Amino acid sequence: MTVRAGLRGAPLVSALIDLLGTDKVLGTREDLLIYEFDGAVDTATPDAVVLPNETADVAKLSRFCHQHDVPIVPRGAGTGLSGGAIPVEGGVVVSFARMSRILEIDVPNMRAVVQPGLVNLHLSTAAAPHGLYFVPDPSSQKACTIGGNVAENSGGPHTLAYGVTTNHVTGLELVLSDGSVVRLGGKAVEYAGYDLIGAFVGSEGTLGIVTEITVRLTPLPEDKRTILAAFPTIDGASETVSAIIGAGIVPSAIELMDQLATEAVEAAVGAGYPLDAGGILLMEVDGLRDGLDEAATRIEAICRANGATTLRRAATTLERDRLWAGRKGAFAAMGRLAPAYYVQDGVIPRTRLPDVLRTVREVAQRHGVRIANVFHAGDGNLHPLILFANESELEGVKQAGLEILEACVAAGGSITGEHGVGMEKNCFMPLQFTADDLATMGRVKSAFDPAGLANPGKIFPTPGRCREFQLAARR
Amino acid sequence: MTDRIRPADAAACARAVAESAAASRSLRVRGAGTKDYLGEVLPADAVLDTTGLAGIVAHVPADLTVTVAAGTRFAEVRTALARAGQFLPLDPPHADAATIGGIVAANSNGFWRSRYGGVRDLLIGTTAVLGDGTTARSGGRVVKNVAGYDLNKLFVGSLGTLGVLVECTFKVLPRPPVTSGAHAQFARSADAFAAADAIVRTSARPAALAISGGPGGAWVLLLQAEGDAAPVERTLELFSQSARAQGTSAQRHEGLSAVLATMNDLSAHGDGTVVRAALPLGAQPAFASTAARLEGFTQFVADAASGIVRVVLRGDDAVVIGGTDALLAAARVCGGSGRIERRPDSLRARLRVWGDAEPAGLFLMRRLKEAFDPRGILEPGRSAAG
Repeated sequence: MTVRAGLRGAPLVSALIDLLGTDKVLGTREDLLIYEFDGAVDTATPDAVVLPNETADVAKLSRFCHQHDVPIVPRGAGTGLSGGAIPVEGGVVVSFARMSRILEIDVPNMRAVVQPGLVNLHLSTAAAPHGLYFVPDPSSQKACTIGGNVAENSGGPHTLAYGVTTNHVTGLELVLSDGSVVRLGGKAVEYAGYDLIGAFVGSEGTLGIVTEITVRLTPLPEDKRTILAAFPTIDGASETVSAIIGAGIVPSAIELMDQLATEAVEAAVGAGYPLDAGGILLMEVDGLRDGLDEAATRIEAICRANGATTLRRAATTLERDRLWAGRKGAFAAMGRLAPAYYVQDGVIPRTRLPDVLRTVREVAQRHGVRIANVFHAGDGNLHPLILFANESELEGVKQAGLEILEACVAAGGSITGEHGVGMEKNCFMPLQFTADDLATMGRVKSAFDPAGLANPGKIFPTPGRCREFQLAARR
Repeated sequence: MTDRIRPADAAACARAVAESAAASRSLRVRGAGTKDYLGEVLPADAVLDTTGLAGIVAHVPADLTVTVAAGTRFAEVRTALARAGQFLPLDPPHADAATIGGIVAANSNGFWRSRYGGVRDLLIGTTAVLGDGTTARSGGRVVKNVAGYDLNKLFVGSLGTLGVLVECTFKVLPRPPVTSGAHAQFARSADAFAAADAIVRTSARPAALAISGGPGGAWVLLLQAEGDAAPVERTLELFSQSARAQGTSAQRHEGLSAVLATMNDLSAHGDGTVVRAALPLGAQPAFASTAARLEGFTQFVADAASGIVRVVLRGDDAVVIGGTDALLAAARVCGGSGRIERRPDSLRARLRVWGDAEPAGLFLMRRLKEAFDPRGILEPGRSAAG
């Protein structure tokens, strides 16, 4: 951990109260404890939490922190899965709980302007009466915020055909770590100069803080067909994914679940998944209603040819929602299997699914852990959920996670598809990138945040925490 | 006579750029040279010709990705993918001659952007040589990837000012089984846009929805639909309905691809001044009527589903300059942005490509330029950011 000389602890809390007022600052030990974790496994306690009401509060806070060498860590709903919202070097956590409004739903221009604390699903709910929705649909969409989606470049099951967050953001208001406010883009698809929005989305709070977001809204599909296919083995299910795409069909979603995951989901949600299957695919086609039945029939034929034992097409909206409830509730359902889990997020070219899934099984055996798989198979985005019972197992569990990521990179993939690098995988970045690649990203970091106060300790390998890993990697 | 450097591979390219940086020798980065008119082109000491960086590096059809050397011609990539029943869903101007690197650096999109995404949406990995000779990779060969910053986006539309692209990876798609088209004529531009808007609000997602018009003539709305037979038929039916709702009728048009390509290549010819604007969707009709009232108004082309509008102006210098100013201001006041895509050499000094308005976040762009190209040797001054 880098030790900074700046203001910390009680003196920082009282200075922030002087700056912003008591109603915007939390500083007691009990209050701060709530902010020491997010959806991942690492923890760190902030020195203070600030709850801004508006951009001006964030700018004022950033200027103050810049003067006093205090790190700033933005936080949405704290659902992140890579420790992005954890103040690993202390400092101020900025919670957007009070900046959670929809500022505008612009129907003629098919855009919405929102505050960062807005819950993802609330935007689609509000846009639905206009026949529109916000495409990115992470499984946490009932809780996660759009500011968090921008920070992590979040995906979700339906991004296979429609893209991830970065494909749906056209404007941002940012507060840089020196307190300057920058408004980028707007409601058109391109603006003069470099695509700073494109560089910012997915930067995990390390380039600055988002205070307003303009997003694209998309017409709701006229209809959908949702298909469940069960296979005797997980290999059968994963080979079917390539067969469907090889046949020239790109469904809007292809999700895969293994038997262990299905068992948990059935116990928790009762989605109606067959319990005896080695692998289950949940697939959807959508758009104009014409041709959807034919597309679904073609998909079912490919599943059958690849050994599917059960095929079910949702006949009603209720049935479809139930099938999706199982998938979207899968992570939460892991509580049925073990007290805790550690989820990885590696990506591989989708033709490599069967062999990398075999490696995942070998890793599980080697470490004597159970691993459930629930993931975006169409994108090749794995989510192995490594189950464990208590803290003492965590090191071994993390080692198993690392071995899975090494297999993903060796297969030509990435260490993270949608959960972000955060403080969880920053030591692993050299697996995927050269020193020059990382130094180039460092140049971007320095351009936006020369003082290094924007969410420090994330994305980039840190000399202290990563030393051990770097030695291991060189061997 | 400027020097010409034509590296044969990425390593040679990195060496050439490093040597140029050491000698403070400025470089024009050039592929096929189809877009020499684009941006604020200033003199350079040497031309870095990227056409030696050629060839398809990797294509695994079932992964739906392709990796190509940046100097490869788009047409060559198109042919190779077609053999596997796939396509890179871009319809850039100058499609027959343009190189992949040029298409990315110029953010060269056509009418397919709304349906398939633009260059920024399809590009998933890059290798680039920065202005000091550093070779930097971003993204990768997988369709979903959030490891590290997305530097790919910075190179899209950078006009070579941040780095020389040496390799690019894209998402590709299976070739849709059916392509069909239709068009309809309208007396007023507002009616053409109303008909287009009715389609944009459905989930039909046509491949192209283009509007063209000229002084005194009719406004034509063209729709291209791609996909399975049933949704394509339905999309054409929706198009007929939306045309009827505006008091006109639609006709099938099977030769639409060639028409769209011609419209796309609007700036390929040297005569006239072409103003390009990116607008909020709903601002297009008012912008079109502003354009049609200008004295030098010659031609209008819009990607109505994305809000990209191009206007050709002709006439004496004062008329063209006045018209250009009016259009750039109109784009700005509705929350969009405008620039000059092409102008005759005679107007170079008097018409600034990016207009008078400073891009938002210019100070950040300048810091990035400084960080990626510390000696300022890559295409100095060509982009809005320097």
